[in-house]
Amino acid sequence: MSKRAVIFGLDGATFTVLDHLIQHGALPTFQRVFGGGTRGILESSIPPLTPPAWTSLVTGRTPANHGIFNFLQYESKDSSFVRMVTSRAIRTETLWSMVNRHGVRACALNFVVHNPAPKIDGCCIPGWVPWRWVKTQSHPKGIIDTLRRTIPGFDVKEMAMNFSEEEKAISGTFHEDYEQWIDLHIRREKQWFSAWKHCLEHEPAGLYAIVFDGVDKLQHLCWPFLDPAYAPRQRDEKYERVRERCWDYFRLVDDFLRQTLEIVGPETHVFIASDHGFTGTHEILYINNWLEKQGYLTWAEGTPIEEDESHELGAVRPIQRRGFNFVHTRAYASFASCNGVFIPIRGERGREGVAPEDYRRVRDQLADDLLHKCAHPETREPLVTRVWTREQAFPGAEGNANAPDLTLELRDKGNVSVLRASTWYKPRQQIMGCHHPDGIFGAIGPGIRAGTQAERLRLIDIAPTVLYALGLPIPSDLEGRVATGVFSQEYRDANPVRSGEPTQPVNARDAGTGGEGDSGGEEDPQVLMRLKALGYIE
Amino acid sequence: MAVIDRDAIKADLIRILTELREDWEFSGEVTEKTGIFGDLEFESIDAVALGSAIEDHYNQQLPFAEFLTKAGERQAKDIYVGDLVNFLHENVGKR
Repeated sequence: MSKRAVIFGLDGATFTVLDHLIQHGALPTFQRVFGGGTRGILESSIPPLTPPAWTSLVTGRTPANHGIFNFLQYESKDSSFVRMVTSRAIRTETLWSMVNRHGVRACALNFVVHNPAPKIDGCCIPGWVPWRWVKTQSHPKGIIDTLRRTIPGFDVKEMAMNFSEEEKAISGTFHEDYEQWIDLHIRREKQWFSAWKHCLEHEPAGLYAIVFDGVDKLQHLCWPFLDPAYAPRQRDEKYERVRERCWDYFRLVDDFLRQTLEIVGPETHVFIASDHGFTGTHEILYINNWLEKQGYLTWAEGTPIEEDESHELGAVRPIQRRGFNFVHTRAYASFASCNGVFIPIRGERGREGVAPEDYRRVRDQLADDLLHKCAHPETREPLVTRVWTREQAFPGAEGNANAPDLTLELRDKGNVSVLRASTWYKPRQQIMGCHHPDGIFGAIGPGIRAGTQAERLRLIDIAPTVLYALGLPIPSDLEGRVATGVFSQEYRDANPVRSGEPTQPVNARDAGTGGEGDSGGEEDPQVLMRLKALGYIE
Repeated sequence: MAVIDRDAIKADLIRILTELREDWEFSGEVTEKTGIFGDLEFESIDAVALGSAIEDHYNQQLPFAEFLTKAGERQAKDIYVGDLVNFLHENVGKR
């Protein structure tokens, strides 16, 4: 019997929540997998953001090589216009293609940056696609019609990301609509699971992979209901009701895992992975206001101060570059989701900006200021705990201006706000969920050591580990390594790791999008307004 | 890539939009006068996805975000299929 593997992806899953639910008996299948197999921390990308993170997982490569840094990228090296990243922007081979080359079919469902679906041997229904486009952006042609014919109640509109519905979450009224929000994602996940189950049962393949992304969505809005550290001493009826509904969601996912294990059987390697973890954020750093205070940034005349009602998520709204006066701006942040600060370089990124010979000095000074001067206004405790330069965060991406010049880690792991506000710092009115670099890993199957704590793994280790489980050679240019420690010595002796040919080049048709473009340019405001509906641009 | 004539581009675009139409309520004929927002009821994210689909069809990156942005700056009431055909005719085949 040929080998099979499953990647059961949970966007944003964290042991903070899973262990709490396991302790209360709510996740018997996860408990069984972690107990009967192995579990451990899966370290995310820098920054821990969905597009670069999942792409690292499915390519075994870091962002500098696979080319995905954010939800957005510039249209071309010289353009000032931004676009959402698509599958065309992935520069390196994916797992699906790697296994295809060895005659192994693959099914991949709900992965971000997979639209239009790659023409793999198998099937792919991409995630993050507006519902009208799911049918034509899936592969093979006809897969959605097949699902409609064979699955009672299958509804693409309910399964796909509905941007109108997502927008409700940032309407400022979502505090009243927690249950509606949770129910939306329960319905979505049921649709995805019905497609997943169909593939497992009817699409012959050696590798099956899916992402359930409601975990992330719930945790962003409902974190105080999920992290026991934030549970109130006095729980009112509403708190109990919302928390119970959140748990219903996780119970559902647990049942998806149970059914998956039943369908694929004990001879299949099943890997559970999240692209990043989660924690709570309790403050907002308006980074552009802080840069202004320090003399790095000047707002363009007329840029409005936004005291947005839904500032809990408003903190992550992008800002158009026309909001800055680049004659007097040496650093700015456009997209909160990547916690990145850009330095406009004269001649390279537009007419104005920092002289090329001053770039290093300005960047070093700014990094130092961020670490030592960006402090809580009362306690004076640093708000920025880490600053990576482009070379440190993305080694090999020196020439790629889609990678920020500086990437920040805040003390509460939250995202900066890039909006213009009346202050540069503000405590949040309510705790929100935000990404933490420590995601989860779990595995069960032949040769997996039972009841063990895995060593700390990185997202880029998953692709080679899955290839190993499938008995395939590991391409020599993968940056990750096989997590041999999760397999027994006996298994490893019988199945030595084999190194193979390097990955195959892909037709990186968007790969040239490395430029920041003209600093006087603008983004598509409609598109960007939509992006805010995505949670933290997700 | 060779420059493609306008009629061929128009046929390609109408085929792409007609395929989509099966998935929602719009039942009219897609012509050059069809508005993607007013008639096809696109959301802005659908317009982005349309750009992606067109690029996939022609296997070429196109300045679609720039096209959408400039339409917004003109405060255009809608983007018509004819506008898209003109845009594609200007850009498809040019690297």
